[in-house]
Amino acid sequence: MAAQQTDPGNGGSALVEKTHQRTHHAMGTCFTLYVDCASEAQAQSCFQSVFEEIDRVEATFSRFRPASEISRINREAAEGPMVTDPEVFRLLATAMDVSRKTGGVFDMTVGRLTEAWGFQAGCPAIPDAETLTAARAEAGWELVELDPAWRTVEFLRPGVALDPGGIAKGYAVDCALDVLRTAGIPGLLDAGSSSIAASDEAFGNTWTVGIANPADTTKELCRVRVSGRALSTSGSKEQSFTRAGRVYSHLIDPTARGDENSEQEVLQATVLAPSSMLADALSTAMFLLGPERGGKALKGFPECAALWVCRGSEGISWLAEQWPK
Amino acid sequence: MDRREFMQMTGAGLGAVALLGVRGCNSPHAVAPSDWVNVGVIGVGSRGQHMMSMLLRVPGVRITALSDIYEPRIAEGRKVTGEQTTAYSDYRKMLDAKDIDAVMVSTPLGLHAEHVAAALDSGRAVYGEKSMGRTLEDCNLIRDTAKRTGKIYQVGLQYTYAPWYQEAAQRIQEGKIGQVREIHSYWHRNNNWRRPVPNGSSPELERLLNWRLYRQWSGGLLAELGSHQITFANGIYGSIPESVMASGGVDFWKDGREIEDNVHAILRYPGGQTLQASYITTNRLDGAQERIFGTGGSVVLTHTEATYYKEPWYPNSAIPPEITIEHKLITGPTYSAEQPYHGKGDIPSKGSASDADLLALKEFISCIRTHRKPVADENLGWNQAVTVALCNQALAEGRKVTLKEFLEPAKS
Repeated sequence: MAAQQTDPGNGGSALVEKTHQRTHHAMGTCFTLYVDCASEAQAQSCFQSVFEEIDRVEATFSRFRPASEISRINREAAEGPMVTDPEVFRLLATAMDVSRKTGGVFDMTVGRLTEAWGFQAGCPAIPDAETLTAARAEAGWELVELDPAWRTVEFLRPGVALDPGGIAKGYAVDCALDVLRTAGIPGLLDAGSSSIAASDEAFGNTWTVGIANPADTTKELCRVRVSGRALSTSGSKEQSFTRAGRVYSHLIDPTARGDENSEQEVLQATVLAPSSMLADALSTAMFLLGPERGGKALKGFPECAALWVCRGSEGISWLAEQWPK
Repeated sequence: MDRREFMQMTGAGLGAVALLGVRGCNSPHAVAPSDWVNVGVIGVGSRGQHMMSMLLRVPGVRITALSDIYEPRIAEGRKVTGEQTTAYSDYRKMLDAKDIDAVMVSTPLGLHAEHVAAALDSGRAVYGEKSMGRTLEDCNLIRDTAKRTGKIYQVGLQYTYAPWYQEAAQRIQEGKIGQVREIHSYWHRNNNWRRPVPNGSSPELERLLNWRLYRQWSGGLLAELGSHQITFANGIYGSIPESVMASGGVDFWKDGREIEDNVHAILRYPGGQTLQASYITTNRLDGAQERIFGTGGSVVLTHTEATYYKEPWYPNSAIPPEITIEHKLITGPTYSAEQPYHGKGDIPSKGSASDADLLALKEFISCIRTHRKPVADENLGWNQAVTVALCNQALAEGRKVTLKEFLEPAKS
């Protein structure tokens, strides 16, 4: 996806001030912030506060940082129910809700499988059966128990670990935009081109996001106005490998057993949602589910829409579900 | 007699805490109803919200009240607590409420004394953000109120509870790096330290949201960034400095702020040791670190770990013989005498697996339940905050200021 500013035309009120832009590296990607500010100094303050907020979210949810809350949960939740703060609990509850409604295709415990496939170490390969069986035993969203009454999280067996990589980046976008809303400053945030959201409907109306054609990235499939919504795209193009004519993606379906055959290969899935957190989690699930199963699962998310790009025997096709006209 | 009193009398409190450390220490189910701690928060800005999140990770803690004069903060605070927490625009009304056992004060520095003293006087245990106070009078008020009321006061010097800091202090006290004669501390940032304010805000609101930039409320970079490092140096040298020289100014971010955007201070301790402290806002290469130089080795402390280096041995060098004898030979990374060392040090401590704020708050709650005095108490806080105030006087006057004349200006 690529964000582009359009002429607001007559009556467009958002761009009375200059749009400032700055990029920040965090969570393994680049966050680019666009804000309308009256002065360079005000823009600097926005960049600083927004990027500090993204860093805060990363410090809370990164599984690579030993002092993060996710690392603490991964270390201690197998010992018994442990209390966490409401923010972390809310994200875990959202993730579990997406897991339940997608039949476990979106799963924060999938990290063990990603590890087994070698994607985390950067040398992906098909794992042997023993490794895969061991990884599968420690993966599964149903092994995580949340108790909202006590705000506790517990792993029902040792070895389980949470990997919020499929949802935390979107959450960081939501939190960052909250900082702008509190300051009353309109802006748009683009997280590595895969998650994009705007703080303000009027501001978002002046920006269109082109959804790339994965078969020909020089072309766009369509354009969407951000307009107070969040967009997220998942695809296998960036991280995948091919063996015996079959494409293996870093996005792993923990419910798959390896013998699935589909006439269509999903190249990309884009989700429009009220929050970037939901868009981020659902785009992974929609990519893995494909249009048929994904379309059914999407009924559980009436405020969301999905667009799939697939390759089949008849070439590239795209299908949409609940997509706005 | 309630459960808390019973546990204190039997000495079971500490034992219970130790037992919980084995298993289930993070479960709220393990906390008896009488041991739940209700906390009221005065000051719900960004730091206050962060500390509220940390508090809510401690089993058996509820946040039952919020107080802030800036209304939008209340909504943000309620988002952190996840409920419609009772809110007060006047902190005194919050202190009148019955359902509060402890108070967390995270207001601008210039208001700490008023808020902490009032909370202690209301009979509550208090966790007060650092620094303890902005002026000597502020620090005296908090220290004297804590002593008079006998209530628990813990100052927010969270690295006091960080295991890698504790381990470094212990190793240094055991003489593992010889005699420490010099500490360099840096907290280097590259940003303007400003918060965005809504378009069209009044100058008063701008000053309120950016209180760190204005003399009325702020102790500047030395207070906001240097406090932890000064605390560590005071601990290693066993004293507060006897004199300070400092330099700095508003030299880059000339945007109406009053506090310096760069500060450099040399603190001299009674034994002739020094702390060289540097705080800048235009480059972050060095980040936040303390470099502790001993006659037999060095320690570099960051917010996540401690790294140890041994000095190369030469005849007639300052390395104490016992260090050489103990290790027989120098096994650690070494470096040529006049060249900076760029190699890898020894990192025996894995203390980074803990969040220092969470550890400090767990200790605060534990002190309430077991009626123990915190390590970061009013004395530690006074020493640190008075050192900062001394530095700030030297900075403002552009001369060497002694502790004696700072404490007793009339006599001097």
